[in-house]
Amino acid sequence: MSMSFFIHLFSAHKRFTELLTKDEKDLPNNRVPMERILTLPELKSNPFRKRICNVFSTSEYKDGGLTFEDFLDLLSAFSDSATLEIKSHYAFRIFDFDDDGTLDCGDLEKLVNCLTGETDDTRLTPEEMRQLINNILEESDIDKDGTVNLSEFQHVISRSPDFVSSFKIVL
Amino acid sequence: MSTVSESVVGSTRSLSAAKRHKSIRKNSRRIYSAYQDNQGSSDDQDKEDERADSNDPEEMFQNIQYQKEIIANIRTRPWPMRRKLKVLKQAREIVLKYEGRLTRTRGYQTAGADLLKKLSRVLYNILVLFIPWEVRIKKIESHFGSGVASYFIFLRWLFGINIVLTIMTGAFIVLPELLAGAPFGTTRSKTIPKEHLASAQDLDTIWSLGGYLQYSVLFYGYYGRLRKIGSAGYRLPLAYFLVGMAVFAYSFIVLLRKMAKNSRMSLASASDENFTFCWRVFCAWDYLIGNPEAAESKGAAIVNNIREAIVEEQEKKKDTSLAVLISLRILANILVLLSLAGSIYIIYFVVDRSQKLEQEKPELTLWEKNEVSVVVSLITMIAPSAFELVAQLEMYHPRTSLRFQLARVLVLYLGNLYSLIIALLDKVNSMSSAIPLSPGNWSESSSFLATISQPEGNSLSTLVSEISVSEHRNITIATIATVLDVRNTSTSGSGVISNQTSLFEKNIRSQQDPCWETYVGQEMLKLSIIDMIFTVASILLIDFIRGLVVRYLSDCCCWDLESKFPEYGEFKIAENVLHLIYNQGMIWMGAFFSPCLPAFNVLKLIGLMYLRSWAVLTCNVPHQQVFRASRSNNFYVAMLLFMLFLCMLPTIFAIVRYRPSQHCGPFSGQEKIYDIISETVANDFPLWFSKVMSYVTSPVVVLPALLLLFMLIYYLQAIARSLKFTNNQLRIQLQTERTEDKKKVFQLAAARLQAPEADKKPDQQESDVTSQEASIHTPSPRRNGSITDFNSPVHRGNSIHTITQSASRAELSRGGVAGSVRSPAVTILPKHRPPEHTPSRSDTQQFSQSGRPPPPFLGGPSGSCRSKSYHHMACSPPARYSDHIQSDPLYRKTLRSIHPMEAAGIISAQSYGGRRGHTTRYVIVNEHDPRKKLLRSATRIPRHFLMEEPAEILELYPRNIKRYAPRSAHHQPHPHRSHPSQQHLSEEEEEEEDGKGKRRISLGKAHRPRSLSDLHQPAHFYIGDRGERHRSKDSRGRYGVHEEDEEEDGEEEIDWGDLEPHSRSQSNVRGADSVLVRNRRHIHSPGRPCPSPVRSMHMESHVKPKTRPKLEPPLTESDSASLASSSDQQNSSTDQYIQVIHNKDHYLKSEARQGKQAKKKSKASFDLNVTESKDLVYSNV
Repeated sequence: MSMSFFIHLFSAHKRFTELLTKDEKDLPNNRVPMERILTLPELKSNPFRKRICNVFSTSEYKDGGLTFEDFLDLLSAFSDSATLEIKSHYAFRIFDFDDDGTLDCGDLEKLVNCLTGETDDTRLTPEEMRQLINNILEESDIDKDGTVNLSEFQHVISRSPDFVSSFKIVL
Repeated sequence: MSTVSESVVGSTRSLSAAKRHKSIRKNSRRIYSAYQDNQGSSDDQDKEDERADSNDPEEMFQNIQYQKEIIANIRTRPWPMRRKLKVLKQAREIVLKYEGRLTRTRGYQTAGADLLKKLSRVLYNILVLFIPWEVRIKKIESHFGSGVASYFIFLRWLFGINIVLTIMTGAFIVLPELLAGAPFGTTRSKTIPKEHLASAQDLDTIWSLGGYLQYSVLFYGYYGRLRKIGSAGYRLPLAYFLVGMAVFAYSFIVLLRKMAKNSRMSLASASDENFTFCWRVFCAWDYLIGNPEAAESKGAAIVNNIREAIVEEQEKKKDTSLAVLISLRILANILVLLSLAGSIYIIYFVVDRSQKLEQEKPELTLWEKNEVSVVVSLITMIAPSAFELVAQLEMYHPRTSLRFQLARVLVLYLGNLYSLIIALLDKVNSMSSAIPLSPGNWSESSSFLATISQPEGNSLSTLVSEISVSEHRNITIATIATVLDVRNTSTSGSGVISNQTSLFEKNIRSQQDPCWETYVGQEMLKLSIIDMIFTVASILLIDFIRGLVVRYLSDCCCWDLESKFPEYGEFKIAENVLHLIYNQGMIWMGAFFSPCLPAFNVLKLIGLMYLRSWAVLTCNVPHQQVFRASRSNNFYVAMLLFMLFLCMLPTIFAIVRYRPSQHCGPFSGQEKIYDIISETVANDFPLWFSKVMSYVTSPVVVLPALLLLFMLIYYLQAIARSLKFTNNQLRIQLQTERTEDKKKVFQLAAARLQAPEADKKPDQQESDVTSQEASIHTPSPRRNGSITDFNSPVHRGNSIHTITQSASRAELSRGGVAGSVRSPAVTILPKHRPPEHTPSRSDTQQFSQSGRPPPPFLGGPSGSCRSKSYHHMACSPPARYSDHIQSDPLYRKTLRSIHPMEAAGIISAQSYGGRRGHTTRYVIVNEHDPRKKLLRSATRIPRHFLMEEPAEILELYPRNIKRYAPRSAHHQPHPHRSHPSQQHLSEEEEEEEDGKGKRRISLGKAHRPRSLSDLHQPAHFYIGDRGERHRSKDSRGRYGVHEEDEEEDGEEEIDWGDLEPHSRSQSNVRGADSVLVRNRRHIHSPGRPCPSPVRSMHMESHVKPKTRPKLEPPLTESDSASLASSSDQQNSSTDQYIQVIHNKDHYLKSEARQGKQAKKKSKASFDLNVTESKDLVYSNV
């Protein structure tokens, strides 16, 4: 493998081990709880940080904890070299708040709320929210089943000029 | 036979039931954790596969190929790392293990290719390490998002261009001059005049680029006119000219290439579909943002954006007080135009003034010397902000206003540069015309000539006379005559004399310093320097100081500095990029006259990079209206190209129009700068070359060449137009397809509504199903002749009876006597049909009928084959529909209990062996079942699915599940089961009547795929992909014999060939959504944009004629429905998947054949075909 690959790997590992406490470091295959992952500045200000952790977590407790492997998965999905397909796949999963495989109205509402924040002045009114969701479904829901599924989502996303360039996390 | 199979079924039932139970659990887990990988099962299966591998080299090769494909594509799979690693490892192992068995050379080849790949990768990675400022840009990107980063990437790119320009000018002009040219002080053009020597080292002289700087390699004037310099005889003047042109040429090429690359990348977004809301929500967040402040502002921007979109949507139809708005906009535009005109006037005025000052005053102050560049820089700094203020008047949408702003700023910059260069050239004009030698190149010069010739005539100055004498050689008699004329006229005018003295004074000066090229170069360099100073100052003052003030004084101030008035400086990407472009324009403009300008620009850009990045990181907040980075990239480049063109014009104009200075520079003494080329050609090239050149440049050659070029342009344009046209056509087609898709969905909804009704008569439905199956069976004998035509009615038959009959007969007929046996069933069936029809079912049935076009005109095997492929498509819709229709809870429950039956059926089928064997296997393949393992040992195909499918299923499951969830939760675990089992139930009943186990099996087979397709269309589709791939390979490698036998096979293959690349490229598009599929195709394979539509149309056409004759009696509703369905096919991915299955069958068949008797020739293949078609039919249903 190449130099830069290892450099990236090392830096990722370094960043990861910084998140571990001392006694955890001795354990093999340890899991960093979500709270600590979220202290990474790259994720701290991301409105979807919790979802990101949950999506990439392989923890059986659904607590969003990440092993180093999961962490690498995260980084590779958000890396420069990931394809649009991978990125859109994970974006879909991130937006799919209830993990049911489709973006329904509830998911979309949560998604918009994540983007706008929860404060009263930024939050959309129910009326606005309704209209927004209707419009989104109007545009993307090709089979008119009231939800956006993965293929519809990828269809929309693949047209977006700057999704690939913005769906990145750089350590 | 039948009894035996029964018993087998019975014994195996319990076993398989237990297994089923497990698999249910497994599946349920999969579903609930919808996206979790199911690596466990796939891994097991992989191992199985490995074992199952036979020694057949062809298979092996395919397998290896397949594994390699996996290895190559592993990165594009959204799997977790662990799974990727496992799969990769396995694939590698397999490849390593078996590759040795194939030819050795192949192994070496691949090894070499691998090595090469690795090497290139290492090299690339090393190169990446040397990309300047990568880390810095990444850091900025991670703080401020991709928009801000795009500015720095653009800056870096410009930096790269300037480096190359610097190398070009440095290596070919500056260095040779320094090394081999005449040293400083040896010639007049290289010495500082005595009266300037004293002040040559003064700071303000240096500052205004006079003194030593003026007489240095920085400027045109310093370069010697010797044709060859140094011992090697370097032709500096020629090099100077060529490099000057090469600078432009190189810039053009680089820009165009960049543009082409960008536009290729943004091709996907070229369509004017817009998903405003989706993008604003789905793609709003820039995941790179890691800085809380940036995140905050981004969040605010997103909220604004979304609100804006909503408001826009709400008020789309409303028109707000137009009159006021229009008047405001007109006002704003007038203001902008005024300020543009004002800025142009000011620049012109300043240049003019400086000219006058130079003439009148011997000593200029610092301000007077730098007036021009300072004013220009000031204008470039202030005007954009003014424009921004004005733009607020207009109340445009932010995006539009940004565009307006950009356009205005660009015009302003261009206006500045142009007015400057025009003013300069004007000055040059007067300067060069001040010398008496220019013989009437332009009319104004004559007046000057008058004044100048006077002193000459009086021989007041030896210097002047010297010059004039030297020049006289060049002057023709005619010009002398004019000079004399002029002299006469001037002497007559006595008033001129007073002027003469002052002019003469000036003339002397200009004759010592007559280098207008140097002057232009000086001005450009000065402008560049002052621009840099202003940039630095503005960064420090406007951004940094302001940032400091806002941050530290906000506590002790009565209002909130951070959010109200001064705020933090915004990083205005667009304006800054424009500034870069402007800067680059200056460089291009001046590069010819000041060879070191690119070098200076390199330094400037480096400084700018560090300063800007520092400023951005410390004291800026990103602009709220982020200019879309990726899309704007090309916009930037396009503007740069525009700038390059416009900046090249003045230089070219000066080169062509003006006479080079007589006493300085490499072209001194020439009539025109470009004369150097013709001179070189004439003097230094062999005679033949100049002859050739003269021929080439003669109108005889040039005109045709020009014509050819025009023709070429026209041709290319025509092609582009036609491509655009087809593009539009495709888009329209796509849209209609989408609407049709929608229609289909509505139909579907209607069907759903009717579903409850249907539930009440499950038996009938089942009978319908079985009838369909029966119809499916019939095809097997089809290739025997036209008999197949009669089969079509069979499909219509709904009654169980007819079904069983036909089915059983089909079995029998397989022996080869099909034709005669068949006919009775045919005749009987149609009668039954009308009464049994249930409303909900009706469409699907009709679809299926229409779909099966037992082709009346296509006799013989070829006909059947073709019909197969088409009807697969046609049949697919029923599958889809049926899933909706039959998703009632009743079935679900029954299904489970009955599962075992199915399994038993399969097993029994296996026991039959022979032809039977592979069909069953096929069924098994389609199921995502652990049971596969048992049977797989015989076939190799499943492995592909094993490896691939689970993931796909996982992805896609949720959708199905969702749909079914409300109805029967516990069924979810394995939805695909439901249908078959149901079928079996009915079959069982039937069997009791019939007592024919065989039939049942066949039914089971037939249904299996259908159920799959119902529930998992996407998965199927994917399978299809795989199948295709196989098939294609197969057909190439192995099917040679086959093809000979059957033409239609070949045809099909062609179709496949068309599809193949698409399917490969689209393997990502797993969804059933047809539109998606389509789009992908078009986008991914621009080389072959039409195949799919063409193909689909093709199919349609085929289907239509076929169906019609058959359905003649009830041509009413069903016919239309069938037509609709067939047209629908185009859109739906189902067509693909169906075909896929078909292929798979082929594959299987071929496998089976190979296993059995590889050496059988045409006859065997014929047989094969028979079975194939039959299988196909099964799978379709």
